[in-house]
Amino acid sequence: MSGIRITNLRKSFGDYTALRGIDLQVPNGTLLALLGPSGCGKSTTLQLLAGFEAPTEGEIWADDTLLSSPRGVLPPEKRGISLVFQNYAVWPHKTVAENVAFGLTIRRLPKAEVAERLTRALRTVRLDPLRDRYPSELSGGQQQRVALARALVVEPSILLLDEPLSNLDAHLREEMRFEIRQVHDLLGITTVYVTHDQSEALVTADRIAVMQSGIVQQLGSPEEVFERPSNAFVAGFIGSNNTLAGTSEGEGAIRVGDHVLTAPDRSGAAKGGSVALCVRPSKVRLGGDGGLPCNSLPGTVVRSAYLGEHRDVLVDIGGDRTIRAFVPPEHRYGPGAATTVHLPIDACQILAPAA
Amino acid sequence: MGVISTSSRDAVARPVMARVPLVKATILGAVVLLLVLLVVQPFGWVLFNSLHDDATGAWTLNNYARVVQSADLIEPLVNSLVLAAATALIAVGIGVPLAWLVSRTDLPFRRSIRVLTLTAFVTPSFIGATGWILLAAPNSGWLNTAWRWLAGEGAGAPLNIYSMAGAVFVCGIYTVPYSFTMVSSALDEMAVELEDAATTLGCGVLRTMVSITIPLAAPAVIASFILSFIQGLTLFGVPAFLLTPTGIPVVTTKLAEFYQLFPPEIYLAAAYCMPLLLVTGALFWMRRRYLGRKQYVTISGKTRAGRQIHLGAWRWPALFLALLLPTVAVFLPYAALLLVSLTRAWGLGLSWENLSLYWYWWAIFGNSETHTAIVNSLVYSTLGATLCVALGTLVAYIVERRMMPGASLLGAVATVPIIIPGIVLSVGFFAAYTRAPFNLYGTPLLLIAAFAATFLPIAYAHGGSILKGIGPELERAARSLGAGEARTFLAVTLPLMGGGLVSGWFLVFIPIIRELSVAVFLITPKTNVMTTLIYNAKDGGNYEAVCAMSVLLLLITLLLVAIARPLAGLTGARRTSRKTATAAGVPS
Repeated sequence: MSGIRITNLRKSFGDYTALRGIDLQVPNGTLLALLGPSGCGKSTTLQLLAGFEAPTEGEIWADDTLLSSPRGVLPPEKRGISLVFQNYAVWPHKTVAENVAFGLTIRRLPKAEVAERLTRALRTVRLDPLRDRYPSELSGGQQQRVALARALVVEPSILLLDEPLSNLDAHLREEMRFEIRQVHDLLGITTVYVTHDQSEALVTADRIAVMQSGIVQQLGSPEEVFERPSNAFVAGFIGSNNTLAGTSEGEGAIRVGDHVLTAPDRSGAAKGGSVALCVRPSKVRLGGDGGLPCNSLPGTVVRSAYLGEHRDVLVDIGGDRTIRAFVPPEHRYGPGAATTVHLPIDACQILAPAA
Repeated sequence: MGVISTSSRDAVARPVMARVPLVKATILGAVVLLLVLLVVQPFGWVLFNSLHDDATGAWTLNNYARVVQSADLIEPLVNSLVLAAATALIAVGIGVPLAWLVSRTDLPFRRSIRVLTLTAFVTPSFIGATGWILLAAPNSGWLNTAWRWLAGEGAGAPLNIYSMAGAVFVCGIYTVPYSFTMVSSALDEMAVELEDAATTLGCGVLRTMVSITIPLAAPAVIASFILSFIQGLTLFGVPAFLLTPTGIPVVTTKLAEFYQLFPPEIYLAAAYCMPLLLVTGALFWMRRRYLGRKQYVTISGKTRAGRQIHLGAWRWPALFLALLLPTVAVFLPYAALLLVSLTRAWGLGLSWENLSLYWYWWAIFGNSETHTAIVNSLVYSTLGATLCVALGTLVAYIVERRMMPGASLLGAVATVPIIIPGIVLSVGFFAAYTRAPFNLYGTPLLLIAAFAATFLPIAYAHGGSILKGIGPELERAARSLGAGEARTFLAVTLPLMGGGLVSGWFLVFIPIIRELSVAVFLITPKTNVMTTLIYNAKDGGNYEAVCAMSVLLLLITLLLVAIARPLAGLTGARRTSRKTATAAGVPS
């Protein structure tokens, strides 16, 4: 097993810059999720890690071994890095057993050891009874487990997962999340998990790197990125969020239209600089006096949707701005009703606007 | 783990990298060298020779001046263009409706018509021309005789195959299979959803056809028109058989004439190739431009059986029309060839005493010349197709996976022979390899190489389309598990290409075994192949032998096609069912 160190990684394809300088540390044995919307550079980072692309600038290290730099790239087959693909990439012309044993035969291990490790790997992913099937005779989830077993059986020092669950149906996806975390807890292999699904990242990862436009926006534990997002993009990408763009009125205050709102300030912006106020819909209250110290604004209900566990209410607060609130389902609001929006000060954050 | 092999601890550690493995470098080098030898060099010689004087060997532009100025060199060009345009019109005019009938309607015997059209495809057009000489020669042709028998002695002979119209007819009917195949596969692969969407919006059958199906098939129609045009322009056998006797010259027969002159005007011939190249090159450029803007051709959905259009009362008239092509391209000429080949002496007329298998016995056992040619044809075609497919597939792989800088240039070089008419390539190979240091004249290698070069574009395009369907992840998975590039290619890519490669091999083998124009300047008595032998024997007027050899060539080709079909399907029976295939990115 090895830790990964990525320094100032840049990658351009012609005029297009996919990565604009990435720095990441993945300590030995941790599971890092690379989270971001499509086109953010997470898959490029993975291709560079696997050795299929050469960086334009920067270096990738596994412990003391330099894997990639603009001067050259250690070929993928020499890295000891296994990869699980979004579309599984299970070879259709090989049986389950042949797929999984491939990496072992490449390593010219003794027959007995191949057989033993193969059986162990197939048992781990509960595919032993299906070992002689061809992939065309397996379900999507089973193919995914073949891909996982094939990657793990060679005991890689690093495991890369490229959106491994996105081709599965919702129910199976939820189940496989826990399975992947379980396998990681069992084997402790340093893992990089690429996904665009925040809940996948929150469930599986020790650390999450939120990426956008080729830059790591925030690197932290799941709790940190959810509770203390570093900017409005991270706040908006992870979980539901209200973002009100405005200008700084000095530390701890933001002007949004005619209102000045106060909140804990982590934007670092000077007075007059552009900032954003972020607040989760679940913290927003409607009507009454709010109870806690709040920023309170008058508004009009635009839309109200009943979701069983809560009611999702959209309130117009003037100036083309709206606030979403998740309120207890027993509170009923019809469109057009006047109400007051309360944003509890402790639940609000003033952040730098989306980068 | 110890899987990572480098473990230098100093700060300036360098990955083991950038060094291209020896095997890969050797293979890349061999591919580049072969492309230079097979394509660049012969073509370069044509260009070089065209700028030299036949008598003195000095540099000159005189050859080009003669091509442009002398009327007896311009006339063949005009004739060639007329022949090509008419051929393309016939091919598209018959091929497209036929394709639509077979792919989209409930026409009876659809499968049989497909097979018969394929039979027309494997028939060398000059053998078809021989059949039609027997059928429609000015006086003695059977159809003319039959006409006189029906309409009375004084009715004359309405048909004359030795004419421009005759040549257009024969070129046309044997080019129909090209447009038929291209358009019917476009129709087969078209996503049914596209048509269904129109139907759900209230379009009737006819409206859907006019506003959706036909525009979507248009790129295939245009591509097949251009291909048919080039076919008509570059054919050698048909004009040599049907037009030369009446003194109508075309470019290809004129080129052959330069070689038969004494002294031969080889350098003038090289210059005379250029107008052909100019036209074919321009057509391909136009096609590229056109298709470049109509990228939607490739947007095909899942291949499902399309909605069938019910012809109703039109079924039988439609069948009658659909059977016209097989009748004129397969039944009639084959019947003529077969009948003549089975008579001991055709001049003696049809009678039981005259029927015999003598000429087959003669071709296979009796005559060492034909015996050698049969063996040569089989050996050269097998080796040529193998070389061609191996090289084409490797080039396609290098291009698809961008394995070296300038890879797309390799692809362009591998595609160039498609615009080089066979007879021009023959001129080029003659120039390149009959001199030192190669001195290959009279060796089998010369023919094998020329055959491989001629059909390299087919092998390359076919290989590329198979590879496009194999997702790179399938290979990357193997790489990440420790397999090097060569091992990955052998263990993953090649088996996945499997059935496709077999069909690609036959796709090259069949045109090679029936190829005439490439071989015509390159053969010697020892390296004669069946096509050249038939061509020469026909000049000698020995029709019984010509027919027997033609029937043998057809039988061998058809037999191989029959073997090929199940073989190509065999490789993927259990493992490439549609579900995995699409999940893994393999075309089903």
